Amino acid sequence: MPDMVFGCRPFIVMEEVVRLEDYIIVTNNPLVRDREESRHAVEYHETGIREILEIIRNKVHVGQRLLTHPLSGSVKPGETPYKSVLMTRGKEPVDLMSVELIQSAIEACGKFSFKSEEYDERAMRDFRIIDWTLISSALESADSF
Amino acid sequence: MSKIKVVHYINQFFANIGGEEKADYPAEKRPGEVVGPGMAFNAAFGDEAEIIGTIVCGDTYFNENVDKATADILEMVKEMQPDLFIAGPAFNAGRYGVACGTIASAVQEKLGIPSLTGMYVENPGVDMYASKVYMVSTKNSAAGMRDAVKKMAPLALKLAKGEAIGASCEEGYIPNGVRVNFFEEERGSKRAVDMLLKKLAGKAYTTEYPMPAFDRVAPNPAVKDLSKAKIALVTSGGIVPKGNPDHIESSSASKFGEYDITGVTDLTADTYETAHGGYDPVYANADADRVLPVDVMRDLEKEGVIGELHNKYYATVGNGTAVASAKAYAAEIAKRLIADGVDAVILTST
Amino acid sequence: MKLEMGYIHISDIEFSSESKIENGKLYVSTDALKALVLEDEKLKDVSFDIARPGESVRITPVKDVIEPRVKVEGKGGVFPGIISKVDTVGSGKTYALKGMAVVTAGKIVGFQEGVIDMTGPGADYTPFSKLINLVMVCEPVDEIEPHEYEKAVRIAGFKAAAYIGELAKSLTPDETKVYETETIKEGMAKYPDLPRVAYVHMLQSQGLLHDTYVYGVDAKQILPTMLNPTECMDGAIVSGNCVSACDKNPTYVHQNNPVVHDLLEEHGKTINFVCHIVTNENVYLADKQRSSDWTAKLCKMLDLDGVIVSQEGFGNPDTDLIMNCKKIEAEGIKTVIITDEYAGRDGKSQSLADADAAADAVVTAGNANQVVVLPKLDKVIGTLDYITKIAGASENTLREDGSLEVEIQVITGATNEVGFTTLSAR
Repeated sequence: MPDMVFGCRPFIVMEEVVRLEDYIIVTNNPLVRDREESRHAVEYHETGIREILEIIRNKVHVGQRLLTHPLSGSVKPGETPYKSVLMTRGKEPVDLMSVELIQSAIEACGKFSFKSEEYDERAMRDFRIIDWTLISSALESADSF
Repeated sequence: MSKIKVVHYINQFFANIGGEEKADYPAEKRPGEVVGPGMAFNAAFGDEAEIIGTIVCGDTYFNENVDKATADILEMVKEMQPDLFIAGPAFNAGRYGVACGTIASAVQEKLGIPSLTGMYVENPGVDMYASKVYMVSTKNSAAGMRDAVKKMAPLALKLAKGEAIGASCEEGYIPNGVRVNFFEEERGSKRAVDMLLKKLAGKAYTTEYPMPAFDRVAPNPAVKDLSKAKIALVTSGGIVPKGNPDHIESSSASKFGEYDITGVTDLTADTYETAHGGYDPVYANADADRVLPVDVMRDLEKEGVIGELHNKYYATVGNGTAVASAKAYAAEIAKRLIADGVDAVILTST
Repeated sequence: MKLEMGYIHISDIEFSSESKIENGKLYVSTDALKALVLEDEKLKDVSFDIARPGESVRITPVKDVIEPRVKVEGKGGVFPGIISKVDTVGSGKTYALKGMAVVTAGKIVGFQEGVIDMTGPGADYTPFSKLINLVMVCEPVDEIEPHEYEKAVRIAGFKAAAYIGELAKSLTPDETKVYETETIKEGMAKYPDLPRVAYVHMLQSQGLLHDTYVYGVDAKQILPTMLNPTECMDGAIVSGNCVSACDKNPTYVHQNNPVVHDLLEEHGKTINFVCHIVTNENVYLADKQRSSDWTAKLCKMLDLDGVIVSQEGFGNPDTDLIMNCKKIEAEGIKTVIITDEYAGRDGKSQSLADADAAADAVVTAGNANQVVVLPKLDKVIGTLDYITKIAGASENTLREDGSLEVEIQVITGATNEVGFTTLSAR
């Protein structure tokens, strides 16, 4: 981290900044984008549940690590159209636990059938809120130290 | 209501023809006959069903002529037009178990006739066919015949009538990978406490959900000195000499191939291809080194990074190939590699 | 710690101008109850109804089920840290109204909340069809966030249950049961030869609408900790969980936690039930790591021989379940886990999202994806608006004859993972 940016801060604070900035939210939930992008790094994709899980998987395959469980919420994948996860931004050696978690999430997708046309706007709003509350819960943990 | 018509399959031993010396007895149809264990089934069926014919086949004959025997027996069953097909029970007789599993699942699948067999849980037929056809769990010898018939007959009738089949522990069949709900007598917490008491006391208990088996292999220690090592290539990506001389199947491979690459420095579109189905083969066919990196290995050999590239490589197709088959191929390949003094192997897949 | 539980059997409920319990019958003044519930400015209206076993009634969307209880002697009150002041409960004397429950309903997150059928095949799957249910359908004020609504309904249910429980305070119980456990040292001295056993109770804690409270603390914030087995009988643990009807633990299940009860039955006979350990199921992976490390550490520090681990929910909690099991087994402690399955409608899919060879003793509460047809019932308490949108429903759910084709995951308590019911699978 160049001194230019944090030159005036004591070292210990700089460490903290580095750590807090170290993750990104990957999501297909517009509510998460709208509520979090002013405070956190958000990578938003306008896409389906399976596709967003695959985008996350591709990131895991190049060494980004999952910080939250991709099957968060007892709203099952395939029963919700939205999913948000926290991941490390930097690349490390591929994390096997992340590989297993995202793979089993994608497999779980096949077990449930989601038909977005079945849901009215109120239900879709509930799905967005549920997903947002789950990621907020993780952000609380991520930012608590 | 007319009785349910049953055709029964048994081997030469249970037909009283003879033991191992008569195991080459070809498939034979005996319409109207009830033979050996068939009597016990008929008694257990009461008024509901009756055996209208028996098919007898020697175990050696069946297993050495699987395709012909299966086709012949299917034809015999078809002629007798039963409502239900029962094979065995085979207890712990391995080849009889495989024959029962093969023919019962074939009758069910090809002729659409509900089928049932029975055997001991360690019979090799279980691994191969338990997920394809209902299989009652029996004792390991013919001494368990009465018990086997007692469990098989009611389940067979249910199958013939198209009734809902309960969970494996209720009906007595070997778990077939399909999870079925039912109400236990005790609530879950009580069952957990009982299971824990048994586990604590070192007594036998049965888990209600066996964890899927993961066969994890711990990697060997790293090769100390690559520059002296003899390295072999092995692939499940189906790379074979052009024309696929061993006819390795594009899926569910029944064999592996061993190919000499003495003097080969590069796999080209004219010399090699992939036998593997299930993925777009264009890039593998254009340059098979992409799956089996002979070219790079030759470079490393030339540069002295590795001692030498083994002059044979082994290939099979991973696509749908049974884990048990893959294991068997691997064991054989490993044996040959060790005999040839290979120090390390690079495994590639697609 | 010693708790005397007095059981008062309720044979019927009737609305009346005065609230009282007489000869086993509960009379409820809806005016009094309504005034109590509407003290919360987040709630606009509440309506009450009674559903009895065998009646042609469907209750949906169900949020929570609560057993009315009252503290008669000893420290604290019911639901400590929530509607009573924070004080350690689990000793003294508590009365419980058996055979009935307060059921809260409302469209909080309609697509997730469950169904209780009082008759028919659906009734076989829910333990709450066997109770006389006093149902409260709570309407929120306009423009309210779901989590605020959830909190209002949650508190309303506890207040109503406490109000009804209070009516029993001066009664003589029909039946009394004494539960007593020792301190660590006493227990060792008293039962030197019995295996030392604890219950590791995983609490849903994935965030708002997926939460559980321990003495009023959101379980997401806790480190694994120890309770006396009797504490949850006074409402030390309550549900704030709105999702996954089939395998969420309503407050009623915490109050009557069957693992606690069945371990207490064996306490002093075949085992020494050392303590009740609560842990969480957070979504943040580092939290999972920390909590499962701590759970295993506590088990080790307590010199346990055996542990039962129960779970709440699907997917994310499977990972906690397996981590707990693996780490506790690695300490040389024998472990049995309780879970449910999502094996697909055909029963052929992988049941759990995680697995490990250490989990060699599993009790299952059944496949939540199993399809069941629920016939049309005469009366609906709540609304069917959400029924086709509920988890486990599909476009074919509402059939022409008015029956519903659904997966049993829509049914409250169908595959309960603390082993509250007898459903299982093989």
